[in-house]
Amino acid sequence: MIGRLREWLADRLGLDALQHLAEKKDVPVHRHTFWYYWGGMTLFLFGIQVATGILLLLYYRASADEAYESVRFIMTQVSFGWLIRSIHSWSANLMIGAAMIHMFSAFLTKAYRPPRELTWISGMVLLGLSLAFGFSGYLLPWNQLAFFATKVGTDVTGAVPVVGGFMLRFLRGGEHISGGTLTRFFGFHVAILPAIATLIVGVHVYLVQRHGMSVPPSVEDAGGPKRRMKFVPNFMLRDMVGWLAALGVLALLSALFPWELGLKADPFASAPAGIRPEWYFGWMFQTLRMMPSHILGIEGELVAIAGIGLGGAVWLLAPFLDDPRGRGQRARMMTALGVVALVYIVAFTLLVYRGAKP
Amino acid sequence: MRPLIVIRWALVVAALSAALAYVAPVARGAAPGAADTAAATRTGPSAKNTCFDCHSQLDDSRLSGPTKDFPQDIHATHGLGCVGCHGGNPNDPEMTAMDPDKGFKGAPARKDIAELCASCHANAAYMKRFNPQPYIFSMAEFRTSVHCKKIAEGDLKVATCTNCHGVHGILPPRDPRSPVNHRNVPFTCAKCHNAEYMKGRTVPTNQLALWRESVHGVALLVKGDMSAPACNNCHGNHGAVPPKTRDISVVCGNCHGREGELFAKSKVAETLEFEGKRGCVTCHSNHGIRPPTDAMVGLEGEGVCGRCHTAGSPGARAAAELVPRFHTFKSHLARADSLLGVADRLGVETAPGHEALKQANDALVGLRATIHSFSLPPIEAALAEGEGLASRAESHAREGLRDWRNRRAGMALSLVVILALMALLIARIRQVERPAA
Repeated sequence: MIGRLREWLADRLGLDALQHLAEKKDVPVHRHTFWYYWGGMTLFLFGIQVATGILLLLYYRASADEAYESVRFIMTQVSFGWLIRSIHSWSANLMIGAAMIHMFSAFLTKAYRPPRELTWISGMVLLGLSLAFGFSGYLLPWNQLAFFATKVGTDVTGAVPVVGGFMLRFLRGGEHISGGTLTRFFGFHVAILPAIATLIVGVHVYLVQRHGMSVPPSVEDAGGPKRRMKFVPNFMLRDMVGWLAALGVLALLSALFPWELGLKADPFASAPAGIRPEWYFGWMFQTLRMMPSHILGIEGELVAIAGIGLGGAVWLLAPFLDDPRGRGQRARMMTALGVVALVYIVAFTLLVYRGAKP
Repeated sequence: MRPLIVIRWALVVAALSAALAYVAPVARGAAPGAADTAAATRTGPSAKNTCFDCHSQLDDSRLSGPTKDFPQDIHATHGLGCVGCHGGNPNDPEMTAMDPDKGFKGAPARKDIAELCASCHANAAYMKRFNPQPYIFSMAEFRTSVHCKKIAEGDLKVATCTNCHGVHGILPPRDPRSPVNHRNVPFTCAKCHNAEYMKGRTVPTNQLALWRESVHGVALLVKGDMSAPACNNCHGNHGAVPPKTRDISVVCGNCHGREGELFAKSKVAETLEFEGKRGCVTCHSNHGIRPPTDAMVGLEGEGVCGRCHTAGSPGARAAAELVPRFHTFKSHLARADSLLGVADRLGVETAPGHEALKQANDALVGLRATIHSFSLPPIEAALAEGEGLASRAESHAREGLRDWRNRRAGMALSLVVILALMALLIARIRQVERPAA
């Protein structure tokens, strides 16, 4: 019976082709294989986000009058509501962390070389979308910290020359943070960003499938990978071990450090002390904070925004700036750039949490 | 073909502009309140005032002095000139303007000042021209004051209207510069009620020094609490008198309503009155009143009951029974608060516990007020209510902590399951990758 059903589905869905693809797909095994697991880890955490996000949507109400109360209701009255919200919040952070590890490992192993330029660009877009997910989701509980962090975050956007004013009003839905901003961020968080992200994830996974795993130049120079591992089941099973470990970490974090709700946002209250953005924006926040007021007559904040923008552009265009073979002086310079960026981001993120001031 | 392309692009640009305007709204219209600015600027009446014109030019400061402050005087800002109090003709630029035959009165005599002010300020119909809800001065009330009585006896070294309000630069009481502004009243009273001015009189003169250090003085001067009492809140202003023994609980009860009401009905009030003691002042003092503490209840340490009650008396026995229960209730409250704090830090639900704790704290405030009934049954009832609420707060906190422990147990269980699954997967990997025999 099951065999006949499988045959019926296989005829209609082309399961044999998929099975053939899965059987054919393999992964090179070498000393950098470990980094291959981080893409799957990011995707797994994205799945957790989607699942817990849908559950939160069942109770969340997106208005300035009700948002905080609805999250409080989820945390206190809904069975396992506290767990779902804590997992959603922790998983968001772990997902961005996993995406960053994936990005840096791809950069430093030069996985963006032709023909994988679009894989790199789509990955960068996905990281940008993850940050946008984080920024928009942070405001949704409508608590004091989120309110003022969003105010500071959107103020920075307003400082961008020419388009700053437009961007600020676009994000806030007016001149100030209000219930309108909350509704807008909710729209971004649950409709616009998921639609775009799903599409880009599809493209990214398709490209990974099409071009296979990239082998780092250093491994190629040493004669290439000595052996290859079947994607199904060998690599897949290892992936699942990692996902289970991530699930364990999520359970641990959610039970020991449930995500706080804090006080309800009050636009007339003074900003709470020690206000800072989520850790993944920390290095940008610290850069802005440490900038002198003026550099060569130009506002320090503008110089910082321009610098971060330029750095982002170079990072995005790395596949076109690096040597296509990943060898030679240009390649070494790009690797050095990656190391500097990694050290800079880690150091400046840590500085935020050490309370460093200019 | 070309016009079609132009139209197509124009439509695209228009649609894009509309979309951008839609997503990034701009506030329309002028800022709120901008239109009110002009209306808020008022110009004074331009009536002729030759008194001011001449007196402001005079060298004798006694004669020109009044013109310095008068432009900001509340009378001047409401269009009233010198003539209102001094008479004469403000349209006459010559000395004939001050002809007594034409109604010139000059400076009013000290004993007549209150009557002169009352001629307008006691006239409700007239005062309503300037304020729809005016303060109506009552000469009858002023006559009840020690000040007025002394003036009537011919003692002119006591205060009349101008001593407190000023003369030619009178400001409305709401103006912080006014000597009768709530914060300034104690210092205005002290201009006369000081040792030097009161020499030869029996009136005490240490009130300001005591009041400044008191709970009321600190609240008003340091904390800026404008509801805290100054001199006039207890003594009255235009009818200022020292409160009589009997009136003190009424005076205090004006603000401390529940305490005043319970005390007035208590046997203690009756006894104190019989013994000629001064109600609330007996335990709390008056001008130098300190923040009340729970330690005041009892015979020992800071306890004030011992001022009247001796050890072994019924009052002392009641205090000995109540005080330990009172402190048990307070320690119960502190325990509930601490447990709720722990539960808060652990991230479990504490809202119902905090609500119960708030009610229990309110019950403590109620209990402190109920002590003024000096009757065991209501005090015991208030204690029992507070105890019940504190227990409820504590049990909510404990429930939260139990919930937290359950979460940890759940986490431990889920970790065991996850680790078991991981072990199975690893075993499966080894099985798959075992070289074929």
